[in-house]
Amino acid sequence: MKVLVVNNMAPFVRGGAEELAAHLEENLVASGHEAEVLRIPLRLDPASRIPSQMLMVRALEMFNVDRVIALKFPAYLIRHPHKTLWLLRQYRQAYDSSDAGQSNLPEDPPGQEIRRVIRNADNEAFGESRRIFAISKTSQQRLAHYNGVNADVLTPPLNDAELFRGGSSEGYVFAGGRINSMKRQYLLLEALALVPRNVRLVIAGQPDTPQDAARLTQLVEAHALGDRVTLDLRCLPRAELAQYVNRALVCACVPWNEDFGYLAAEAAAAGKPVITAHDSGGVLELVRHLETGWVVAPEPQALADAMAAACLSTTTTVNYGTAARDHWFGMGVTWPKTVERLLT
Amino acid sequence: MKIALCSSFVPFLKGGAKNIVEWLESALQEAGHQVERVYLPTIYTADVLFSQMMAYRWIDLTDSADRIICFRPPAHLIPHPQKVLWFIHHVRFFYDLWDTRHRGFPNDGRHRGLREALHAIDTAAFREARRVFTNSQVVSDRIRMYNKVHSEVLYPPIYRPERFRCGSFSDEIVYLSRVERHKRQHLLIEAMRHTRTGVKLRLSGACFAKEYAEELRSQVSMAGLEGRVTFEDRWISESEKVEVLADCLAVAYLPFDEDSYGYPSLEGSHAGKPVLTTTDSGGVLELVKDGVNGLVVDPDPRALAEAMDRLYLDREVTRRMGRNAQARLGVLKITWSHVIERLLS
Repeated sequence: MKVLVVNNMAPFVRGGAEELAAHLEENLVASGHEAEVLRIPLRLDPASRIPSQMLMVRALEMFNVDRVIALKFPAYLIRHPHKTLWLLRQYRQAYDSSDAGQSNLPEDPPGQEIRRVIRNADNEAFGESRRIFAISKTSQQRLAHYNGVNADVLTPPLNDAELFRGGSSEGYVFAGGRINSMKRQYLLLEALALVPRNVRLVIAGQPDTPQDAARLTQLVEAHALGDRVTLDLRCLPRAELAQYVNRALVCACVPWNEDFGYLAAEAAAAGKPVITAHDSGGVLELVRHLETGWVVAPEPQALADAMAAACLSTTTTVNYGTAARDHWFGMGVTWPKTVERLLT
Repeated sequence: MKIALCSSFVPFLKGGAKNIVEWLESALQEAGHQVERVYLPTIYTADVLFSQMMAYRWIDLTDSADRIICFRPPAHLIPHPQKVLWFIHHVRFFYDLWDTRHRGFPNDGRHRGLREALHAIDTAAFREARRVFTNSQVVSDRIRMYNKVHSEVLYPPIYRPERFRCGSFSDEIVYLSRVERHKRQHLLIEAMRHTRTGVKLRLSGACFAKEYAEELRSQVSMAGLEGRVTFEDRWISESEKVEVLADCLAVAYLPFDEDSYGYPSLEGSHAGKPVLTTTDSGGVLELVKDGVNGLVVDPDPRALAEAMDRLYLDREVTRRMGRNAQARLGVLKITWSHVIERLLS
């Protein structure tokens, strides 16, 4: 079967989703199919561009393809008689982010109109798809709530699980990944100011904007945390990021309502427990409070208590890490199974 | 420099128009540039042509790429302040194939209107480009005739041409190309019946039309040519190609009226072998000059047979034409360094 994986392209940038698409292609081939990735270059910023980009995808024509597996908005608007969606990304600013006041869509009539257009197009694309998979219960619930869609959960495998081998702890709390106000790394710095001086924190990743970076450096300065915090603010090679995880005592991941907790899955693969928050969305599907980590309120004091606990009894922390690893591998998320389900 | 290479494509088809894009990509990367390849699907059907053109027009690479190089339509419509076209063909049934059976729709008011609109849009796309290059004189001539725009011919080199070498000269003329009716392998088998020397023929290449392959096979056996003609309808690996070309007598390439000179004739030239072709092969004639770097004869079995015998008998001339074939590549500047210099100028 000729299977075309359809994904968004950010020109000259290769993120996690591009890697996932490449692995999907590879594994489709391994299971005896022909596979290619169609990457559609998109510009969704400013928001006024979005409708033209949606129409662009919608107007593309193709032949010589038996099956489409589409991953992201708006690439999944592409027309094909046998289309399966594996929703790595919806345009959340038109949904829950918008309801939470976190949207880039203006509140004026044109902004409202864009939101309506996105929701209508999504509903049409979902209606014409043969199957729809969500990457987590969080995203499954959002689909049910806003679009009335019954999706199955299909957890994405890690792209480079082999990097997350684990290792002995150097005793720090690690927070990796993109840095922005939704990922809330600032909460961890505010928490650090409230814990004993022996707790150390490493934050590593690419800030979305200079303001996101400044917010963190200012907090370090304001609370005089310089000797206990390492800020490694850049786009890290995957191997370096994995090294940070492998040498950590515990990982912290406190995003607001994230679809899927890649960072938590990577931590678990490396046998590290995770500190997360009640409202972190998909991360909660991978972390069990006082079994594989800590699930606490998204507030500095609660996070401070969790960090202090993790650093106080390291035996317990290491045990949680082992349990986290068992839980993740127990989920049986593998590429062969993933490919099989996508083609059903 | 950040360079986006933009073209249209058919998923799951290898080779063809993809070669020029992907070979340029690796040459640019070797020259230290960052390259992003943008392939979007397209179907050349009159009814949905314009909506697809609109889609391509909405691709926005302005902030992400320093320069874009566009190949197959409708990729030439992607807007960019530093757009360069390396145009390889029009949507031909609205151009030179209008008055042929390839048109596939009536010559009515609606389609004449579409044709007029397409010509106007193409012309505007050529005009807004920083430079327009083509892959052959034939395409440049069409752009001048239909769109009244000047373009520069930039002959596409092959991938890593330094791989090819000249070894010895055997008795075998080789035709390494897809096996298709319009490539006319059958003409050469027919010619073999008329040869008077010990010249041999090898035909190798992938074949999609199985009935044509069967036809060739029975043609060989009917003429009792099994001992002198080798026919393999399979994909030839690059390393195999290098070996076969190193020791052959000459290469043949005689498609019917193609736009470009064809990679098989280029590969033969890099291996220092003369090229046998016909007077109606189209773009091949931009490369091959009769008696200089190959032989150009009528598309007739007897004429071809005579040429094959000449290549076999007069080895000194054959060798000299082989050396000239290599030299001709320099004259036409078919090198990656020249291509990159022009595309980035």
